[in-house]
Order: sequence, then structure tokens, then C-alpha cells
Amino acid sequence: MSRRAGSRLALALVLALVGCESTGNVGGVPGAILGGMTQTLTGANPADIRGAATDIDEPEEIELGRAVTAAIGSRYKLLRDENLTRYVALVGNAVALQSDRPDLRYYFGVLDTDEVNAFAAAGGYVFITRGTLALVHDEATLAGVLGHEVGHIALRHHVETIRDQKKAAVTRGVGTSLFQIGSGFIPGAGGTATRAFVSSPLMNLTADGLVNLTLKGWSRSEEDQADGVGVKYASQAGYDAAGLRDFLKAVTEGGQQPAKSGFLAKFASTHPGADERLKHQEAQLKTAPPGGRRATARFQQAVAALPQ
Amino acid sequence: MRRTTIAISVLVGMVTGALAAETTRWVERTKVDVRAGRGSFYEIVDTVLKGEQVQILTTEDRWASVRTAREKTGWVYEAALKPTPVQPGTSDFLKAAPGDVSTSRTAASQGAKGLYAQGYAKEKGYDYGVVEWVEAHQPDRAQIEAFLKDPGEKTGGAR
Repeated sequence: MSRRAGSRLALALVLALVGCESTGNVGGVPGAILGGMTQTLTGANPADIRGAATDIDEPEEIELGRAVTAAIGSRYKLLRDENLTRYVALVGNAVALQSDRPDLRYYFGVLDTDEVNAFAAAGGYVFITRGTLALVHDEATLAGVLGHEVGHIALRHHVETIRDQKKAAVTRGVGTSLFQIGSGFIPGAGGTATRAFVSSPLMNLTADGLVNLTLKGWSRSEEDQADGVGVKYASQAGYDAAGLRDFLKAVTEGGQQPAKSGFLAKFASTHPGADERLKHQEAQLKTAPPGGRRATARFQQAVAALPQ
Repeated sequence: MRRTTIAISVLVGMVTGALAAETTRWVERTKVDVRAGRGSFYEIVDTVLKGEQVQILTTEDRWASVRTAREKTGWVYEAALKPTPVQPGTSDFLKAAPGDVSTSRTAASQGAKGLYAQGYAKEKGYDYGVVEWVEAHQPDRAQIEAFLKDPGEKTGGAR
């Protein structure tokens, strides 16, 4: 079973448990709904509801990206190092500017874990772990890894999944009440003021599926696609196109060392087929433009404070 | 004489129409930010909504310099525009946003920042502060511009 098929099955099971959700329920947000302020599509043609509900635009994708980011930040500890975060984001922005969605605002963060991994949430949110930075030796390699993650976003891999999951949810009858307005105190958010927010059972299911997908990983085909464009973006940004190849090489070599294999195991599960990807990279490099910068000293300076 | 006048009028009309057709584009997405430069990190000077017309001033490297109906000029990614009229419209998500984001450009330009995700995080017990910290600690336009101008040293060797 492919990963995506597995996700669909998981979603179907969730939906089966949820059953046919009715209007008026806000998916467990306690006491937050303001009476009379809910917005629904009651009275609309069911076909129109399906069409509207499965449509996805950028603001909604970005919001789902924020939801996934909150989930990632709860699974891992965020490394709140301003200088390191800024440096990773500078490299990431240089690469993203060359992407197929250069008009999307990208946000980059570092996760404080030895685990070797990187994540692309929907809507432009990208995370790389401290363990990955420890495996990287120069900026070109970092650009290759970030280019791959930006690639998932630029190729709209999330959007396709969001659409699939929304269609499945709407077919099951979830989401006749699309959005409802609420307000309340948001734990973790700055300040103590009550904030307004919207809730939607349909969107919650979509976000759950997206969190699952982001943390568990993409299909091999999506990984290959992200590699292909990631190398292109990094190269067009002026980096040596061999960066991603060098990273995959470090991953496959590290996986054979007992001391490192544990930290790399998660990467293997979320980014399948590193050996095959490495072969593809070697082939792609034969036609990639030569040269490009490595910026080793700048990278080493930026990560110097990281614990080894 | 009268025939000549009519012919000239028709010709002028055709040329004007052709020019207008060449320079007018319609916004294809629910909302598009018009920015001060060719990049998502430049300041937003205006926000155009689906179906709005913009006038193309010039194009460069996949970006179009445009003038909006409110006489603001800035850059838009070309793929967000269409050469033929687009029906105005918004998404259900933006419709649900307080302040009627679907019609308010100011609200739309700010997006629906955290509008849904905060509630989701609250429900799941996630720390939404992670999102706010990451968003608050990104490089600004000047830092990105300076970085793009400084390529770093070239130490690339044989592959």
C-alpha cells in the first residue's frame, strides 16, 4: 500500500468514527462559539457545497500550514536561536525566490533534535533539524536540502492531498457547516487577550490528515519530484548543484555507522529511497551547470554555536 | 471628408483597444498582494482580489509591474494574472473571516493570519507560540537583499 493510500484509509477510518457530522458542532472548541455568528452554507445546492468545500486557495493553505507548524512544534522542540534561524531563512529565501512559487512568503525554522530530518508544512513553512545541520558541511548542501523541502510546497504536493481529503470528508457528509466563528484565549500565543478564530470540522479533518502526512512523509514519486526541482532552485540561486547529492551521500553513508544510524532512521521513514534518490542525483548532475558556490566558511560560522 | 474622419476614428479605436487588451490583466486568485519588489519579502503596497483588473507596466523575470485600480504600482507574480476577464469571487474560508475579508482589501492583505490555526492548536493542545516565534524571527527585506548580493566564497571543486 502506498503512503498516500494508507493516509486515505486512515482518513476513511476517522470519518467512519466521526459519522455524518451535523451543523452546529465546532469540533470540540470549548465554549467558544458566539451565538448567531456562525456562518454556514445552509440552503445551498449540495453539489455547490461539495465544489466549494473541496476548493482550496492560498490563504486557506497558509492557515493549514500554520496548524501543521503548531503540530510540528509540539512534536519537536523549536530551537529558538535567532541568528541560526535567520541564517537558515536567508539561504531558504534565496532558494525559494527561484522556485515555482516565488510569491509565497516562506518561513524557516530549526528543530532542536539530533534526529536527521526536514519538513515542509503547507503554505510555505519549512523546518530542518539540528541533526541535519550537523550532517551538512556547507551552504550548498543546506540549499539542496531546503530546495527539496521548498519543492514540495512549490509543486503543491500538500494542495493535492488537501483536495483529496476534503473530497473524501465531504462525500461522507462532514462539513455541511463549513466555518464557524469563535473566540477564546489561545495558549502559547502572545498576550492574554481573547482572540477571534474560525473553526470547521471539515478543516480540522484536513489539518489532521496534513499533520499526519507531513510527519510521516511523502511518496517516493513526490520525493523524486521535490529532488528534481530542489536541485534546480538551488542551482539557479547560484549554489553548486551537487549539494543535495552530497547530503544524500552523507545520509546513506551515515546509515551504515551504528553511532549515527539511530538518528537517521526517522529520515529513512519520512524520506524513502535515499539510495535510489542518490542514483537519480548522480544522473541529474551530469546535465546540471558546473560551478556554483559552496560557501563553506559562511555555513561553518553560522552553525559554530550548535552543540556537537 | 466624413468617411476619412470615420476611418480615422475606427483606426484609433482599434489601436486603443489593442493597446488596452495588451496591458490589461485580470486577477485569477482570491487575493494577490502587490509588492514593492520582485519577491514575497517586499512590503505590500496594495492587495487585489479575484476578478480585479490591473494594468501591466512592464514584466521582468516572471514578475509583472502593475498599476491597480487604486493607482498603486508594484510587482505581482505573473502566474496570478490572466489575459481574459475573470469572474470576481472569494473562498468560503475568507468569507468566514471577521471584518469581511472577502471585500476588505486591508483585511485581505493581512490574510487570515492565525484565524483558523489558533483554534485548531487550542483544540489539539498544541503550542501556537511556535508559529508566532517562527513568523517573528525571519530576516527582513534589507537582510535578504544584502544576503543575495553577497554570494559567499566559491569553494566548489570537482564533483
